Amino acid sequence: MPPLEKKLTLVILCSFAIGCVNLKHVSEFSDSSISALANYETLPTSFAQACRENCRQEHIANFNVYRTECDCSSDEKADSITRLIYTTSMQYFEGLMQISDNTLTYYETSDLSGILGSGNFGPVQLQEEDVKAHSKIATLVLRAFSDGYRRNRIKQYIKEADAPLQVLIHFLRLNLNGNLNGKLEVQKGKAQNLYFDLVNDKSLSTYERTKFAEDYFKRISQIDENQRQLQRFDEVLDEIAKGHQTLYANLDGLDDNEVKGRLARLRYRLDQAASFLSSQK
Amino acid sequence: MPKLTSEQVKQLADNMLHMTNALGDYRYENFDKLTEDENKKIKEIHGQMLNYTTELYTKSALLTMEDIESSLAQIDTISAKTRQLYKSLTGVQNVIDQATGVLKIAAAILSLDTTQISASIKKMIG
Repeated sequence: MPPLEKKLTLVILCSFAIGCVNLKHVSEFSDSSISALANYETLPTSFAQACRENCRQEHIANFNVYRTECDCSSDEKADSITRLIYTTSMQYFEGLMQISDNTLTYYETSDLSGILGSGNFGPVQLQEEDVKAHSKIATLVLRAFSDGYRRNRIKQYIKEADAPLQVLIHFLRLNLNGNLNGKLEVQKGKAQNLYFDLVNDKSLSTYERTKFAEDYFKRISQIDENQRQLQRFDEVLDEIAKGHQTLYANLDGLDDNEVKGRLARLRYRLDQAASFLSSQK
Repeated sequence: MPKLTSEQVKQLADNMLHMTNALGDYRYENFDKLTEDENKKIKEIHGQMLNYTTELYTKSALLTMEDIESSLAQIDTISAKTRQLYKSLTGVQNVIDQATGVLKIAAAILSLDTTQISASIKKMIG
């Protein structure tokens, strides 16, 4: 092997050895996480909506249709905070997916070598074959360097991000499946508080009392459905958190079959959950 | 006195909800035994307790901001770094593309092909 090629091979091998992060797993996991997280946009309820519904129910219970404004500013703020956690997590996964995309460093130099080989550069004459060969080596070296650099960066970013990301996902879960779900539990209590007296009001006809009972069950099943979707999304968030932890804990062994299997199962569960949630729209 | 955390407030809201539900259940189970006034009074208190509980859940959600501030900043910094890395990696392709464009113009000028010169310039600036 000529000395130049030996050096190049060495450089390429070194670059790959610097950081052994299998970018395919990072990219695929980020992709699945983005699709799963995006279901936040289709959640059927929010803090502000729960507030407005509670407020409306109060007016109905008081037979009031005059001056029915509702102050839901605190709940709107709670929604903004929850959305901020969601968008920050989303942006992280989008960035991770972009930089781990395998095609990112496939630099296209065929146009350049074509011009160099066929162009008229006055007294300088280049053989097309030579140009193509050199361009191929240059592309390979360029890719090796940028890939080695990229792998190290990605490894570092995942390490730095794991702890804060776990915190963000924990609090996203607390807000949605904890606090918002709690507000929905309260809604159920309020509906029961309102309808119980109407259903038991013996001055009303049987038809009216039956109708109120029907309305009550309809309302409860709506709230139950909203809670189910929050619960489902909570499971998705749990999978994302676990998945990132698996990535972080196995950054140097992503080619290990057991780790690969674990990540594949995780992605499968994430994709399943995401498509289930999407089908509920 | 240290402030309550979002998780502590959520825990309080959960406990408050259990007590509130217990009060509601008491009224529903003893509806016929209670006088109209008693029923009305308990119903009112029950309603108020439900309102306080839902406010506590909102309060807990608002308090999460204090718990996540530093994590948000850390993730923001990392996302900015990923965007920068992406930009620099795609920048290499841009440099190659631009260099190829310049070379095309140079080759066209040297061959004195005016149509090709115009086409190459259009492609460069387009």
